[in-house]
Amino acid sequence: MSLVIRPSWLLMMVTAVALASTLTFLFAKTEEHDPSASFESLALLRQLRQLDAQWELNVLKSKIGINQDYDPLVEPLTALRAQWDRLETLVSLQAWSDSPDWQRGREAYLQALEDKSELIERFKSHNAVLRNSLAFLPIAENDIHTPLRQLGGSGRIEQTAVVADLHDAVLSTLEYAQTTSTDRAAEVEAGLDRLAADKALLPPDLQAALAILMTHVRTILREQPLVNGLVERIGAVPMAVRLDELHRLIDQAQLQSAEEDLRYHEYVLLFSAILAGLLLYVGGRLIHSYAVINRVNKKLQEANDGLEQRVQQRTRELRETQSELVATARQAGMAEIATNVLHNVGNVLNSVNVSADLVSRRVRNSKSQGLAKAVQLINQHAADLGDFFSRDAKGKLLPGYLSQLVEALADEQQGIAEELEHLTRSVDHIKEIVATQQSYAGASSMLEAVRVTELLEDALRMNAGALQRHQVTVIREFAEVPPLLLDKHRLLLILVNLISNAKQALSAQDKPAHALTLSVQLLEAGNLQICVRDDGEGIATENLTRIFAHGFTTRQDGHGFGLHSCALAAMEMEATLTAHSDGPGQGAVFVLELPVHTVQGGS
Amino acid sequence: MGRVTAALFRTAWPGRKQLSAAGLSWVIALPCGLVAQIGATPLDEPIKPIPLVQDLDPARTELGRRLFQDVRLSANDSLSCASCHQLASGGADQRAFSLGFSGQRAAVNTPSVLNAGLNFRQFWDGRAGSLEAQIDAVIQNPVEMGSTWPEVIGKVAADAHYRTAFAAAYPDGVTQANIANAIATFERSLATPNSRFDQYLRGDAAALSAEEKAGYLKFKQYGCITCHQGVNIGGNMFQKFGVMGDYFQARGNPSAADLGRFRVTGNEADKHVFKVPSLRNVALTAPYFHDATAKTLEEAVAVMFKYQLGRVASEADMQSIVKFLETLTGERAGPQP
Repeated sequence: MSLVIRPSWLLMMVTAVALASTLTFLFAKTEEHDPSASFESLALLRQLRQLDAQWELNVLKSKIGINQDYDPLVEPLTALRAQWDRLETLVSLQAWSDSPDWQRGREAYLQALEDKSELIERFKSHNAVLRNSLAFLPIAENDIHTPLRQLGGSGRIEQTAVVADLHDAVLSTLEYAQTTSTDRAAEVEAGLDRLAADKALLPPDLQAALAILMTHVRTILREQPLVNGLVERIGAVPMAVRLDELHRLIDQAQLQSAEEDLRYHEYVLLFSAILAGLLLYVGGRLIHSYAVINRVNKKLQEANDGLEQRVQQRTRELRETQSELVATARQAGMAEIATNVLHNVGNVLNSVNVSADLVSRRVRNSKSQGLAKAVQLINQHAADLGDFFSRDAKGKLLPGYLSQLVEALADEQQGIAEELEHLTRSVDHIKEIVATQQSYAGASSMLEAVRVTELLEDALRMNAGALQRHQVTVIREFAEVPPLLLDKHRLLLILVNLISNAKQALSAQDKPAHALTLSVQLLEAGNLQICVRDDGEGIATENLTRIFAHGFTTRQDGHGFGLHSCALAAMEMEATLTAHSDGPGQGAVFVLELPVHTVQGGS
Repeated sequence: MGRVTAALFRTAWPGRKQLSAAGLSWVIALPCGLVAQIGATPLDEPIKPIPLVQDLDPARTELGRRLFQDVRLSANDSLSCASCHQLASGGADQRAFSLGFSGQRAAVNTPSVLNAGLNFRQFWDGRAGSLEAQIDAVIQNPVEMGSTWPEVIGKVAADAHYRTAFAAAYPDGVTQANIANAIATFERSLATPNSRFDQYLRGDAAALSAEEKAGYLKFKQYGCITCHQGVNIGGNMFQKFGVMGDYFQARGNPSAADLGRFRVTGNEADKHVFKVPSLRNVALTAPYFHDATAKTLEEAVAVMFKYQLGRVASEADMQSIVKFLETLTGERAGPQP
């Protein structure tokens, strides 16, 4: 697995991340707009306006005396403060809450609220005083009027004038309370002056009552314009305007964010359309790719099938070639054996020739001709045999000669007989060699009980002539080995070849005496090990690996089949054949290790 | 137009003897009479009864109750709120002027803590807009508690009981705002509903004697009601002390505290202007006025007649009004359980 990210993957990942973040951004933007807070703020503002109006109305009600207490002038302020706090909490969550416009509007509203509550406080104080005096005025008039009427008696006219002045003064004061103007104020002042003048006409206790009344008239004169002015100023405080401004600001902000929201919704729609298009395109590409993959897969499948067939065919051909090779090698091996056999036979024939020549020469030079001459002499002297033997010089020698001849003939006969025996043995040898050859040739792989030592002796015998000729001493290191189930033919082929190979290695050296060591032993693993060791020319290290290769040879007359066929035969027997040499001139050892099965029950 | 109005007034106030009956029928008694026919229907009067039910956090109220009586709020652990606002005697101080943590005299007479939550502003000069602000001012006043907030918070937070109670009552535990709020919550619980007069307002005509009812009528007729009205019978407006006469000149010995609201606003028109005090439990909170000059209700009523109403009343009328004032003592205004 490669850790390197391919550029196409990188591009795809970047695109995916970009698309996802765009979607998240747009989604967050559309979620951002929550009109409910704005609507609630607007509702609160409307409530504030209502409370403000209520407050103002309560001021007017207090002014004309419909409100009996001033709690209605306190409660709206408490409510206004509470609602404003709620509005501020709501607004503080909005993004535009710290905009200068809003801050300005807020400051202006709070200032207006402060101004208004200050004015209303003062209104309450002055209105209370005014209303007290206004309510008292008729009673105060009564307090003077009634005792005056009851007084009667002297000064009636003056009293009537005082009552009229009193009445006028109270009336003008009440009118002044209704419609405050400087004219009316002057009228009231004039009335007060008249009353002051009338004061002396009254009895002392009524003078005090008149003074009280006049104090209250003055109070009304003082307080009425104050109250009127305060009410006017209260009405002029631009609370409603400030609230409307705030309303407009929130409306604007709400409208803006709604527009923005709409825009982002459009963006989301557009983005969705793009995404859908992309998805369709990708889907199309996928379907296309699927078809291509299918087609390629099918082709690959076909190619694979063809390839498999070809591999099978090639394998079959190879196997055939190999079996041909094996057969060739085997034939080569057989040729080797045949060569050996013929060689051996030739050797033996040599001795047969020699024997036959010797016998024929002996027969040709036989002492039997002397016997014939002696017999001829005897025949010539058949008549006088006695004389002859006794007198004749020749005859006298004849018996001695005959006895010598007999001895010689006996020697001769023995010699011929011996030579003939040699001959017969040589012929037997030839017969044996041929028989051995016949017993191995053409045999296919079959296991039979074999005594390995006998097999080794056979192999040695097949090479006996050559070994004798090269004066090779064969050293046998045979361990006790029971009869084993072996492929006799292949094993013999290998052994003959190995011995022949060793013999040639030995002959290549000009040493007077050579030694060939054959050893057999059973390994602990149940394998049979056969070693063929020679102290011949050895093998160069670089050749050790090639020595079993087909066609490899170091000899001029070699064909490179021998060891190759050995290796093949060993392979066929599931055996291993290894060569080892310490180097040129150090001799070589070939080790054959083959799995064996002991013969059941022995033999 | 002016003449028509005058004529109306004349028919409304035909004579002094009929005044009470006529005024009653025109201004107040008409709905009163209707109510009397219907039965125990609340009266529509310039004075409203204190609500019987309160909605306050019990944990905060309890916490405030403990703090109210805790001397650790003062600099030298000598004063609690309750030292001057004696709950057993009308929530005010029996002394003319309370003594602060170091024995210094306070500038004004201690107002009652009872029903203080119903006042539109706190202190005689109305400088505190809320009970919390009032508590803040008292704790840091160098004459009164003489403490600082870090000191108070330190003492309160050092108390394991307070810590757990605050943690249970407030999400952010012991803070300046929470201490003030707890005390304020407790003070809001100190309303004194169900006075005999409130029972009368709720429609129980038998709650007041005839004399007391007459006293209420006089209270209204003489114009006391123009300032002492609403649920707290005052406590919802400012008024100049000495509208109809110079009280301070007559009294003499002027002090800085006499300037009243002027000291808050600096406005010339606010000189001698004070918060109109509540008349609830007024029988328990002697002495009276910011300068504690009136030792009895009678004296206080007389001063009011002279300097606020600018009228002369008979001794009997003033007594009658005092009788009415004594019906304003509510439940829980006396000794606390």
